[in-house]
Amino acid sequence: MIGLLSHTLVGQTVQAPATGCQVTPGKVTGLCQAFNSLHIPVEYRTILPLLVLSIGALVLLVISAVLPKRSRPGLYPLLTVIISGLAAGASVFQWIDVGNHAATKAIGNQIFYDRFSVLFMLLISVATLFGALLSDSYLQREGLDGVEAYVLMLLASTGAMLMAASAGTIMLFLGLEIMSIALYVMTAYHRRRAASGEGGLKYFILGSFSSAIFLYGAALAYGATGTTQFDEMSVFLARTTLPNDGILLGGMALLIVGLGFKVAAVPFHFWSPDVYEAAPTPFTGYMAAVAKAAGFAGLFRVLLEGFHSQEANWRPAIWLIAVLTLLVGSVLAIAQRDLKRMMAYSSISQAGYVLIGLQSASSQGTAGALFYLLTYTFIIAGTFAVIGLVQGEGEARNDLGAIRGLGRRRPGLALVMLLFLLAQAGVPFTSGFLAKFYVIAAAVNRGQYALAIIGMLAAAIAAFFYLRVGLLMYSSPEVDETKEPTDGAALAGLRPIPGFDTPREPALSQGPGAVAASSDGDGAVALLAPPEGRVEIPFTVGITLAVCAAFTIFAGVSSPVLDFAKHATTYF
Amino acid sequence: MDQYLPIVLLLVVALAFAAGSFAASKLLGPSRPTGAKTGPYESGIVPQAPVAARFPVRFFLVAMIFIIFDIEVIFLYPWAVIYHQLNTFGLAEMAAFALVVFVSFAYLVSNGALDWGPVKKLARKAPVNLTRTTTSTVRRVPRPDQLIDGMSPRPVDSEPEPTAEPVGAGAPEA
Repeated sequence: MIGLLSHTLVGQTVQAPATGCQVTPGKVTGLCQAFNSLHIPVEYRTILPLLVLSIGALVLLVISAVLPKRSRPGLYPLLTVIISGLAAGASVFQWIDVGNHAATKAIGNQIFYDRFSVLFMLLISVATLFGALLSDSYLQREGLDGVEAYVLMLLASTGAMLMAASAGTIMLFLGLEIMSIALYVMTAYHRRRAASGEGGLKYFILGSFSSAIFLYGAALAYGATGTTQFDEMSVFLARTTLPNDGILLGGMALLIVGLGFKVAAVPFHFWSPDVYEAAPTPFTGYMAAVAKAAGFAGLFRVLLEGFHSQEANWRPAIWLIAVLTLLVGSVLAIAQRDLKRMMAYSSISQAGYVLIGLQSASSQGTAGALFYLLTYTFIIAGTFAVIGLVQGEGEARNDLGAIRGLGRRRPGLALVMLLFLLAQAGVPFTSGFLAKFYVIAAAVNRGQYALAIIGMLAAAIAAFFYLRVGLLMYSSPEVDETKEPTDGAALAGLRPIPGFDTPREPALSQGPGAVAASSDGDGAVALLAPPEGRVEIPFTVGITLAVCAAFTIFAGVSSPVLDFAKHATTYF
Repeated sequence: MDQYLPIVLLLVVALAFAAGSFAASKLLGPSRPTGAKTGPYESGIVPQAPVAARFPVRFFLVAMIFIIFDIEVIFLYPWAVIYHQLNTFGLAEMAAFALVVFVSFAYLVSNGALDWGPVKKLARKAPVNLTRTTTSTVRRVPRPDQLIDGMSPRPVDSEPEPTAEPVGAGAPEA
């Protein structure tokens, strides 16, 4: 029966268009159209970086299956670096290719092939490259070396790229899930740290919840517009005035919530400090760059392409989210004792600036936001590289005291860290300044003076905790001991015993000795004595730091990177 | 709709048979329960609370592996149905899909997910914690002569107790 039916249909598919199917009308028409639309030309070059990454992940798995376990340390990170380098090369090829031809939709209209998506592919490839470089020494130090970390990283990047290139909510959701599931596992990757598993579970539960919210929003948006494609949504909404747009607004709101969770915008940020603290440090840096970039790519696609004509409805919402994100992120970061938690709140606050760019809903705002994400990738990779070095084995020290006196112990490392901190604070001659400048300029050009002022105020608040870390690095490591009052035993117990690499709980920083030491003008944060011993900089981390620092200065004093971002605002 | 009638009938018959069997055994069988009969063991300790059934955690692994291959088959089936329409393109795509699943299979095998029997190679051990000392690790159990009458041997504080209380003194020090 089925065979007969399909043979009839084969004849039809070859000759007749979809509407010409007349096999038992009323019953098979729908099927027949489905059969016709199955002939999808796949333009592989439009998803070249995704192919490189996913095939690379498979190759890594095969190699790990064939080789004996742990036979060659450094092999997997090397291959991952090569793969993500190839993906970056493929993105560059795409950039030129899109420039030569017009931007198109590809693969059954599911993929946007434009410079916006290509920029994100390049960004994600680079972030993966840094992630692999930084993970190598960390995973070997923690005894977690294995192929899985790199495979998960490559797959997460594939999902993130798919999000950036998605031309509809379905593809966006697929990308979101591919990325998120890999990230959940990466968060829980440190098997012997209880916090890691806890953070992974939190991330998984909240992330699944937000995915469900996103999906519900996509369903409502489909119900209101009758399509899942962003460009068709836009055309529909421009042509039609909905008599009752409750469903549309509800869908839009849920889409914003779902994606707002991924970019950790306030008030959807509660997972972020826990997860950033829990995840292995190089993965935290990777997540901060890639998950945020991909989430923002999704937000831009949905709001600026799908709901472009609904600007009046979503801009106030994004305005409020941006203000909350900026202020809550900056203020709460001040209260943090833990370096990674502080960077989590800092990264929340940084997301606020990208939201300012989004709120402007102009090509200038988009260019500013893209430039912001691009430069932030380098800054955050470098920052977490330094944190990964100073925290010591087993992530023993994540508190602010761990970085104290770094300027004396490792002047070069402290200088590079200072550069990243200044860049995040938005000091001129760093990329962070230009990034903040362009998003705020975009807001001003759209008459959003209040938002611009709040953005600048938040930068001033944030400068406090960035500079505090900077000062800590250059303050003397001996200060605590000279000022040590009576309760010497408590602090002495916290100092490393020579010959024993004693892991200490960060919670001990609230002990009596530490509180007493807090009166030396470092704000309200109590500090332990910095760890003794030399911070070793592995070769791979050194390279990453050098590249990130060079880029941060380069993008801060010259314009090519900004021009690059400006070219990417031409959507399909 | 007519063609589904036999299936519906079969469903009804199956349900009726199952329900009828339960009802029949309830009605026909003699039922005189006593406390001893309803317990899990007719002799022995009366259970305090329901006990969780124990089974190897490996079953979860097998269930997950099953899902991988189950999904592969689920995707293979519709492809087989419209194989002629999809032609070479479909064949290539399915080959790519099967390859991906096969790679995950190879990874599973290489990691010993399908090795049965007693586990030979143990997982990598955590490095020994250098902070361990005899006082922090070893539980101190009172000697039999230190035991108070009727007390079960239980660990006491690791603080060394040079002068033991006389046996039978009973009252704990304030």
